[in-house]
Amino acid sequence: MSKLFSADNVSVRFGGLQALDKLSLDIDEGTIIGLIGPNGSGKTTFFNAVTGLCRTAGGQILVDGEDIAGLHPRHVYQRGVSRTFQRSRLCLSLSVFDNVVIGRQNALDLTLFGNLFRRGRFIESVRENHDRVRALLSTFSEPLAARTFDPLHTLSMIDRRRIEVCRALIANPRLLLLDEPSAGMTPDETHEFMSDILKVRGDHPRMSIIIIEHEMDVIQRVADRCVVLNFGKKVAEGTFDAVVADPWVQEAYLGSS
Amino acid sequence: MAILLEYLFNGALLGVIYALVAVGFTLFFGVLDVIKFSHGDVLTLGAYSGLAAFVSLELLGLDLPVVSLIFVLVVAMLVTGLAGIAIGQFFVVPMRGSPAFNILLMTLMIGTAIHECIRLFVPGGANPKAFPTLLPRTPIEIGGAYIRLDSLLLLVLGIGVIVVTNWMVRHTKLGLAIRAVAQDGDTAQIMGIPFRRVVLATFALGSMLAGVAGVMNGLYYSEINFNVGVLLGVIGFSSAVVGGLGSIWGAIIGGFSFAALQTVWVLFFPEMSGYRDVFAFTTIIVLMTIWPTGIIAERYSERV
Amino acid sequence: MASENQWVIASALVASLFLSFGIARTKAGRDFAAILQNSGSWIVLLIPVAGLAIGLALHEEHFALMMLATVLIYALACIGLTIQFGYAGVINFAGIAFFGIGGYTAAVLGGMGLPSLLVLLAGGLVSAAIGCILILPVLRTKGHYAALITIAFVLLFRSFLEVNHTLGGPQGLRVESATIAGQSLFTGIRIGSFEASFYLNYVLLALVLLAIFFLMARFLEKSWIGINLDSMREDPVGAAVFGVNVAYWRIMSFVIGNVLIGIAGATFAMMQTFIAPSNFTFQQSLLMLAIVVLGGIGNLWAVIPAAILVVVVPEKLQAISEYRFLVFAILVVLVLRFRPNGLFPRSMRNFRKEVGQ
Ligand SMILES: Nc1ncnc2c1ncn2[C@@H]1O[C@H](COP(=O)(O)OP(=O)(O)OP(=O)(O)O)[C@@H](O)[C@H]1O
Ligand SMILES: [Mg+2]
Repeated sequence: MSKLFSADNVSVRFGGLQALDKLSLDIDEGTIIGLIGPNGSGKTTFFNAVTGLCRTAGGQILVDGEDIAGLHPRHVYQRGVSRTFQRSRLCLSLSVFDNVVIGRQNALDLTLFGNLFRRGRFIESVRENHDRVRALLSTFSEPLAARTFDPLHTLSMIDRRRIEVCRALIANPRLLLLDEPSAGMTPDETHEFMSDILKVRGDHPRMSIIIIEHEMDVIQRVADRCVVLNFGKKVAEGTFDAVVADPWVQEAYLGSS
Repeated sequence: MAILLEYLFNGALLGVIYALVAVGFTLFFGVLDVIKFSHGDVLTLGAYSGLAAFVSLELLGLDLPVVSLIFVLVVAMLVTGLAGIAIGQFFVVPMRGSPAFNILLMTLMIGTAIHECIRLFVPGGANPKAFPTLLPRTPIEIGGAYIRLDSLLLLVLGIGVIVVTNWMVRHTKLGLAIRAVAQDGDTAQIMGIPFRRVVLATFALGSMLAGVAGVMNGLYYSEINFNVGVLLGVIGFSSAVVGGLGSIWGAIIGGFSFAALQTVWVLFFPEMSGYRDVFAFTTIIVLMTIWPTGIIAERYSERV
Repeated sequence: MASENQWVIASALVASLFLSFGIARTKAGRDFAAILQNSGSWIVLLIPVAGLAIGLALHEEHFALMMLATVLIYALACIGLTIQFGYAGVINFAGIAFFGIGGYTAAVLGGMGLPSLLVLLAGGLVSAAIGCILILPVLRTKGHYAALITIAFVLLFRSFLEVNHTLGGPQGLRVESATIAGQSLFTGIRIGSFEASFYLNYVLLALVLLAIFFLMARFLEKSWIGINLDSMREDPVGAAVFGVNVAYWRIMSFVIGNVLIGIAGATFAMMQTFIAPSNFTFQQSLLMLAIVVLGGIGNLWAVIPAAILVVVVPEKLQAISEYRFLVFAILVVLVLRFRPNGLFPRSMRNFRKEVGQ
């Protein structure tokens, strides 16, 4: 397996707050890393740094050996990184289809000429993209797949989470960043949701995933490797069992006495 | 040299007026992250209510310059303060959370409604109105330049008001609350600060400054006009932006900078003084292109 | 006009306002909106057909035809504003300035004997080009500042015209009327016993322009570009993470919108054969935005009734003509406060028909 992504001594500062402190992290193609840590430990900040939403104060973020630190979010996307947000960022006034299809930015014809004057071709591409969107949605939920033209604000929270993951997946990313995808779900729903994500990944075995999760059993189930953050620093790394056994994690994160 | 001093002095006076308006914009933006564009027209309202106060004093036959001035100022501040609270209470605060442009457009329209009311319903409101002379106009000589005493007093008054405002924001309980809300409204609310009351108090405070500026503007030009507020509002907003929205010092610096731009233009191209606003606005546009968030950077960073 | 008459018109107006407002919320109204929204492109023909019918019916009435043409021209300009503000979320408080740039371009180029259609196009292009100078700061700066820049621009534009003597100063400029295919639009059509006011020519011209650009705007809305514009308006950060080129689309929509506004301004100037700075006040700019907001931000069809409301009503009703800025200001405030989606809210884009659902 080859190294797809590596963060090397990445730091992020907000005024006096060191949100990330020389964090290093590697991922091989096709693996899943669980990123855990207490509230405010910098997990989301790490995703923001990778996707170009906040400025790094040092370090490199390499995708295929190319440093993407400081790139505009759009360019990060073009290098095959997509993500979900902890607090859902969907467009409530648009349809499910619009919300998901935006993730296929690279595959859409965005020329004025193509959109205004070649309507036949445009409609064809709508059909093709609609089929894709439906197919992906139906992996997660059949009823949801039948509602592609419902306004997003009529959907339940769980469906919105699914849509957000679909928007990230439909981009066919090489690296997928999931920020607490199952927040607000019951354990059963979470279980099913994770199975669905794994199912989609089955079709894209080379896709790598970093997942932020507070539920330890989710991490145990999906992650090949775990990284633990605290105050922006990496405090432990390894397989789930190794990390959980780590005395520091036991005390600081899992709160066992 | 004497001429230069006169220009400098007039520029300073304009600067104070602009700064008063700009501080209002900065305060509103600080607590609510909104631009309340009716501000300029609230200023007009202040000027007209000041005028009305003077006229009613005259009708009563009272003619005591100092008392009149104080009365005019108090009435103007009262009216603008109430207008600020009303606009905040009924329009701006309930719109929290809707797109910024909607609020901007709405307050612009409120401003339009205010000055249209003045134009239509004040007798002779469509034409410029003479503003009374409430301060002695004795010229005084400073270094060969002649400066009118009333202008000097106005300058002192304006600076005084700004200093008091700044002191209030820094050192009073209200000021502390305003700063807390400006830092983080939600947290301030959790900490038990009465959010809405603080916001409305800020609106009152900022609008009262506009009232003072309106009266000063009237006294300075001896004339007021129903649409003086539009331009003054834009100038005040530009000054606040150039100074970096949210910072009081920035707003003050911005106000003086705008006046300086106008004055410098008139000084160098007296025969093209008609272009002075074109020049000042163009410069502002250029400045904003270079420093998108103002000279003193805005304290705001988006959370994702 | 007799004052009773005024009251009749006023009450008819209020009644029709409430009626249309009510209908927009009934099932029949929603169905009608859905038909307008979802039918094929042929539905756009409603505009020229209805416009032509009204135009022919009024063919001798100078004033009424001028009003009709003005409504159509304003609707065209407001489609430009809708693309900017309704779709892309780029607010443009300088609409009337770009309208004026189109007009002044027509005045200057028309005097040089260029073909009228070229002059119209030039009006659009010049206003887009000047818009491009503004867009740089608009892009670099965040929302509020962008608004400030367009406000400053519209004030600056007017002061500039007032003091600039090559463009006629406060007196303004004469504009050549249009000549299309050898036919001067300044002489009315005569066929047999049918004699029409020359304003009918401008109604026809405006109808053609409006129909074409209306159709284009409809296509734009229902395209990948439209989806991109909507998602970046709602959440620029989220859109950028999914590869949407936010800056590019802001520029594009600003430019496209200004082309439409400029063309509308050039047409208007040719019809009036005269323009002066006093036509291009900040107040007028706000009235244009009022059309967009009252109708329903982003709803193309709503622009037309709203333009009628804002343009015709004050002219028809001398009683409110004096008060129109006040009336529309209050209306916009109330709409934004209580019905932020306007009297006829935009309906959500869907491709049900396209995918056969
Ligand atoms: N834009 C910002 N400006 C200032 N401080 C920020 C910003 N974003 C995050 N922070 C701070 O950085 C620290 C790390 O935040 P982050 O959101 O990365 O934590 P997290 O690990 O995702 O926590 P959680 O589990 O609660 O989501 C926190 O103290 C937070 O307050
Ligand atoms: Mg987080």
